[in-house]
Amino acid sequence: MGIRLTAAILAGKAAYCVSRLGGGKGSSLPGVVALRIYPGILRVLAGQVENGAIVVTGTNGKTTTNNMLARVLESYGNRLVVNREGANLMNGVTAAFLKESSLRGCLNRHWALLEADEAAFPYIAEIVKPRVVIVTNFFRDQLDRYGELDKTVSLIRTTLTKLSSAKLVLNADDPLVAQLADTGLPRVFYGVGVPTGGKEAGGVTREARFCPYCGENLSYRYYHYSQLGAYRCAGCGFVRPRPDVEALGVEVVDGVTRCKLRVGKKVVSVTLPTQGFYNVYNALAVFGAGVQLGIAPGATAGSLTRYVPATGRLQEFIYKGRPVYLNLVKNPAGFNESLNLLCSTREPKDILIALNDNSADGRDVSWIWDVDFERLQERREILRFVCAGRRAAEMALRLKYAGVPVQRIAVSPGFAAGVRQVLEGNGSVVYLLATYTALWPVEKILRRYAKESNVADRLPSLSHSS
Amino acid sequence: MLTVCHLYPTLLNLYGDRGNIIAFVRRCRWRGIPVRVREVNLGETVEFKGIDFLFLGGGSDREQGILTGDLRRHASALAAAIEEGLVILAICGGYQLLGLYYQPLVGPEIPGLGILDLYTRAGTKRLIGNVVIETKLDGEKVRVCGFENHSGQTFLGNIKPLGRVLKGYGNNGRDGFEGARYKNVFCSYLHGPLLPKNPALTDHLIRLALARRGMDCPLSPLDDSIEHLANKVMLNRLGVAKG
Ligand SMILES: [Zn+2]
Repeated sequence: MGIRLTAAILAGKAAYCVSRLGGGKGSSLPGVVALRIYPGILRVLAGQVENGAIVVTGTNGKTTTNNMLARVLESYGNRLVVNREGANLMNGVTAAFLKESSLRGCLNRHWALLEADEAAFPYIAEIVKPRVVIVTNFFRDQLDRYGELDKTVSLIRTTLTKLSSAKLVLNADDPLVAQLADTGLPRVFYGVGVPTGGKEAGGVTREARFCPYCGENLSYRYYHYSQLGAYRCAGCGFVRPRPDVEALGVEVVDGVTRCKLRVGKKVVSVTLPTQGFYNVYNALAVFGAGVQLGIAPGATAGSLTRYVPATGRLQEFIYKGRPVYLNLVKNPAGFNESLNLLCSTREPKDILIALNDNSADGRDVSWIWDVDFERLQERREILRFVCAGRRAAEMALRLKYAGVPVQRIAVSPGFAAGVRQVLEGNGSVVYLLATYTALWPVEKILRRYAKESNVADRLPSLSHSS
Repeated sequence: MLTVCHLYPTLLNLYGDRGNIIAFVRRCRWRGIPVRVREVNLGETVEFKGIDFLFLGGGSDREQGILTGDLRRHASALAAAIEEGLVILAICGGYQLLGLYYQPLVGPEIPGLGILDLYTRAGTKRLIGNVVIETKLDGEKVRVCGFENHSGQTFLGNIKPLGRVLKGYGNNGRDGFEGARYKNVFCSYLHGPLLPKNPALTDHLIRLALARRGMDCPLSPLDDSIEHLANKVMLNRLGVAKG
């Protein structure tokens, strides 16, 4: 075993260097190589982590949540294994362990923080035996790979029932997630309280309008987005559980998100250096994990203010003095949130949408028809839509049928030309929205022209109160 | 005024089905043809006589079950409307539902509405991918593209297919047929969504709906360059572009 293990680690580490030299992110290839030589490698490496693993799964927010939690644990001096770049299948997770391992396969780490793709969660969890499992939400995502949402959820439920020593951190606002509490594992619920003023309800994608238990229509006191909100089933009485961690009075002002956070009876003010309502949910998940790990909420809040988003999670760049935002879009719920964000101001803007249909993006691009682009038809301040990627024409078609005037739509399948075109627009801000496999090439090209601004440097201060 | 009916939109709305409604409505409005959309949900009544275009989409297995029960109340009215020329587009689950039955891998047959002579058997392999078919609309050959994702395999009885598969699986991955066509009913496994990328088919449905109301006139042409581009990208990629 020793020799094969070393061989696998050597080969994996070599693959890591090779893929970095080639300009890639080196996220999964080392895992592919090492698993081929020594299939049991993940079990061997994961078994050495001192406190065990924390796994984040769900449709949206995995990467951000995982990275935020890493930030919190690192601030306590913990050494971690983290799959930071969203490589969340078996290969990517293995690669993350390889990176921290010595050539003899020794690993000296306190925690493993892993995000796991919903479909891969059962396999990964079975091997790493997580101490804490965070489930963010279940939205429609890449149907052609996973079949239907119900199946995904039921696989995760089955896996959880086999993890007798795990503690759960569950999104109370998503009925599909909240129902996982019936696995009987100790859990912490998180959620967002009553919305403050004018936030639009719902949009068009509501995945779980029906009770996961009895199939009745769920009724909602309020929605945040998609199916997230305060639901109740008249049929069987299934109701949004009262959150242990709750965000109140959420506001997005000047590029930062502020809210009051109630953890049990304690209230903390939190400022996150990012826009986007969904980041509140990600932060709540981290506070929930903190509760399970015994970290004081004030300390979690302190670490989060210095949080810097990962690639494509609303990264900010500067080009010729104008802000340029890069954001990953991968499903209707996430895309609608991105549209909320770019409709939140009236300043003139140019937008690039890069739509690919490789298997990591979902080969079926039909989901763009479930995104509420119709709201853009009246937005005259959006000067130009540049459509790029393998399905650029399909994206342009979607915008045309949403009522966007065709003169404002440009089709530019190549990323280099597309990025150049959008940067040369006349607006005062630029948004680049890209699907998973379009994100890296777009970012790479963007870096040739624009400088990334370090959001954490210009943060407002954080106040605690209890 | 044309009336479009989206049947069970909250239940059957997989794979961007909404795009089919959007395409039909937009292409009417761009030509100044007045059109409205009526959504019919579970338990509500439908008056098929007042409808010009009915859309039946796909749903997950659970949703399909809920819906079949509800729709059964309307089965004979729907069958009569079809005989009388109602224009229907039925995709995936909606397509299977109009047939005789669905045979799951285990357990008894689930009866369909029994309106069209076709049946569906659950397969062990999901048929997934981009598809191109060739169909004839008003005697003219048209290449229609979309995306399919179904585990059910459909077999046709005494009923015509919508087209011949050029690339992809089609009804069952074996006989080379895709979809079904009866009177003004068009059935298909192609979502993607189907209508926006295939304007010739959309316009064909609009013409049929108008003709049923006694308005038998040619449609004014539209600039379809983006539609044709989106269609062509896929045809080229799958190597079935016309010469
Ligand atoms: Zn219920």
